[in-house]
Amino acid sequence: MLYEQELKTFVEGTTNFFEVAAQHPASIGSPYLMEGSPSVHEYTGVINISGKREGVVYFTAPKAMLTVLLMKMQENDFSHETMKDLVGEVANTISGNARRDFGRDFVISVPSVLSGEKPALPQRPGLRSFIIPINWRSHSAKLVVSLT
Amino acid sequence: MMPAAGTDRRRQLVTAAIGTALTLVMGLVLFFGFRLATHMRADITALQAASTLQTYPEEISHQLNTLRDRLEVRAYAGQALADLQSTVQRFDQELRQINAAGDVDAPQLGRALLLWHQYGPVLEPVISFTGQPYVDSDSSGSSLSREGRAHYAAVKRAQLFAADNARPLQTQLSTLAQTLQRTSSAAAARLRSLLLGGVLAALVLAGAAAYFQFTRARHERAAREAQEQTRDILKTVREGFFLLDADYRIGSVWSDALSKMFGREDFAGLSFEELLQELVSPATLATATKYIKLLWGDRAHENLMKSINPLGQLEITMDNGHGGKETRFLQFDFHRVMGPQGIKHVLCAVGDITSSVLLARELHESQENANAQLDMMLGMMHVDPLQLVSFLDTAETGLKLVNTILKEPARTDAEFRKKLSGLFRELHSIKGEASALNLKSVASRVHALEDMVSDCKKRPELSGSDFLPLVLKLDDLLAHLRGIREMASRLTALKDSVPAAPPAAAPRAEPPRPERRNAIKVEDLTPILQSMAERLAQDHAKRFKLKLAGLAEVPSTYSATIKDCLIQMLRNAAVHGIEAPEARRAATKDDAGLVQVEFRKVAEGYELVFEDDGAGISVEALRAAALKKQLISEEEAAGMDNRASMALIFRPGFSIQEDVSMDAGRGVGMDVVARSVYALGGKIGVSTHPGKYTRFKIVLPPADAASSAVA
Repeated sequence: MLYEQELKTFVEGTTNFFEVAAQHPASIGSPYLMEGSPSVHEYTGVINISGKREGVVYFTAPKAMLTVLLMKMQENDFSHETMKDLVGEVANTISGNARRDFGRDFVISVPSVLSGEKPALPQRPGLRSFIIPINWRSHSAKLVVSLT
Repeated sequence: MMPAAGTDRRRQLVTAAIGTALTLVMGLVLFFGFRLATHMRADITALQAASTLQTYPEEISHQLNTLRDRLEVRAYAGQALADLQSTVQRFDQELRQINAAGDVDAPQLGRALLLWHQYGPVLEPVISFTGQPYVDSDSSGSSLSREGRAHYAAVKRAQLFAADNARPLQTQLSTLAQTLQRTSSAAAARLRSLLLGGVLAALVLAGAAAYFQFTRARHERAAREAQEQTRDILKTVREGFFLLDADYRIGSVWSDALSKMFGREDFAGLSFEELLQELVSPATLATATKYIKLLWGDRAHENLMKSINPLGQLEITMDNGHGGKETRFLQFDFHRVMGPQGIKHVLCAVGDITSSVLLARELHESQENANAQLDMMLGMMHVDPLQLVSFLDTAETGLKLVNTILKEPARTDAEFRKKLSGLFRELHSIKGEASALNLKSVASRVHALEDMVSDCKKRPELSGSDFLPLVLKLDDLLAHLRGIREMASRLTALKDSVPAAPPAAAPRAEPPRPERRNAIKVEDLTPILQSMAERLAQDHAKRFKLKLAGLAEVPSTYSATIKDCLIQMLRNAAVHGIEAPEARRAATKDDAGLVQVEFRKVAEGYELVFEDDGAGISVEALRAAALKKQLISEEEAAGMDNRASMALIFRPGFSIQEDVSMDAGRGVGMDVVARSVYALGGKIGVSTHPGKYTRFKIVLPPADAASSAVA
């Protein structure tokens, strides 16, 4: 069973990014369990995890949220590639936070970025997935933690 | 092992002693050698003189003869006299010098001196002659003068004396020379012996020094090897070892594992308190410090001390080497190191028992799970499979509803808080059914989830983070329900396979899953309610009978609601209504209480009456409880009549019980009952008489009307 501290590590990794990159903290909504197939936004940053736990953690955000985020970061390039880079950067921060907190117990992959509303997310049958809404300004993204 | 300081001091003393002895020996050799050499030099000088002197008597005799001959032939005798004078003077002078030097202690010298002393009167007239020995005349030529004759006579006397005494004097001088020769030889032998002895002593000391150096080198090599071995041990062991001194400070040597455990290298001189202060709580640190101080007391028995070791399993949080923190479990073990003066050090062995602790926890969890599964299975054996499946469906539906409530977007405290009441109602309902079926593992899990919800409610400001433990617990509960379902499926398959043979051929039948929770008839609840009543009586140390009537008349539309209401009211009656047997006896009642349930058809639809002959409800107690829970203000309480006070029991969050238990105290029970009744278009009323009874009456509309109301 996933432990609260582990879940918090991923959440902090995500909220830290907003705090540092946009100087505006993100808050988390009420977490819940995923039912059915994953529902994602346009851009998704994924990290695969193995070792003590196995599975996947991903951050998925709508284009509108990323656009505002880029504007806050004084960025003028709102291209598809920049959006992907940004989501990748969030996933990278989550990954770094996890490495810091979990040390050698977890093997964390280099983040990969998927785009589109039906991306080919790695699936592992039998895993319960936790969805944590990430609220930033008026926008909302999701952090999905799907681990053994 | 390190060489002891005492051994070092002993070695230094031995080195100093050898150096001193060598210096002393060389000094003595030089001192006595110098003295012997000085004596030898005097003896040799005397020997040389004696050797020269022994020729003088003969020479004096010879010169006297020459002088007499010259005088007899009237030849020139001046030179002969001069030679004699010179010889006598030299002999006398040298003989006196030997005597005056005092280096010769031989009787021959005295005798020689005596003899020479006798020569003096005889030779003196001869050598002192200064006149003309001859007179010349033409007639007789040269002849002795009167002085000459006297001189001649003196020479003749001297010659005769010398002829008699030269030999004895020469013998004495010769003997003296021999004596001096022997003395010199003896001195030379002593000097040789002394030098030889000195050299031998120096060699012995040098040998001792060399041996000492050799043994010292050997010991040092052994000490170095021992040190290397100690280093290897300290480098290899997996425990952290170090010594604490009387000031509770760490010594200069420790094992490498200690550095890895604590992520630091600066242990030398570090106090035990400083080592732990950033890793443990102040209370633990204070206890550990007291314990270390106790260890230094001679009185405390070591085995007893071990039994009270507060650091037997210490949980610490430290840097994980990646910039983050990790929790580790360390075990500190202490041993006194005794010296001649008492406790010298305390040896501290630190072991990293993280994996053992985690493994033990996992084992404990597995054991608990296994026990829970066993309990669950035993509980399930007594539950009708259809009822169990019905419950699982209901519970899963309820938990899905809980998840739906969680899923509702929320950003503000009010939005988060709104979720809590909905969660309470759903969870309470599930727990009630689990309790009724005696599924303790489910009921306890739901109860724990309710505790979490309750904790959230008490927080001043709610955020999404507060819901993280809830969702984890929800996941755990769902997994548990899946486990029960799987087990139920296996049990059903097992039951089905018993009459059939062989078992392998028996089909693994999935239990039928009712489409709706209303598929179970309420009359099936009778054994469940009876069983629940027995459990409640046992859990709360009460005695009561449950009488059920008319439940077969409950239409299917109302079955779920009636079931939920009966479960809740039965729990309330057991916890709040029926008194303990002692209290009942004191109130002149039967020990065993009575709870009566009757369902009947009435003119306006259906009526459910639930009555217990317990303590009744005190409206004052209701108002006090509502005030305490801040559901009403004091002004409101003062203005409440009995009817309004009784209505408090249907308010969300109201409970008369202070402590939360599995069966009461949440304040959601009667709230759920009332909401369910109202949802069906019904009414609920309560009447009571303190000390006599409490009666709930639920009136429901005809079943068709209820269907349209729900729709």
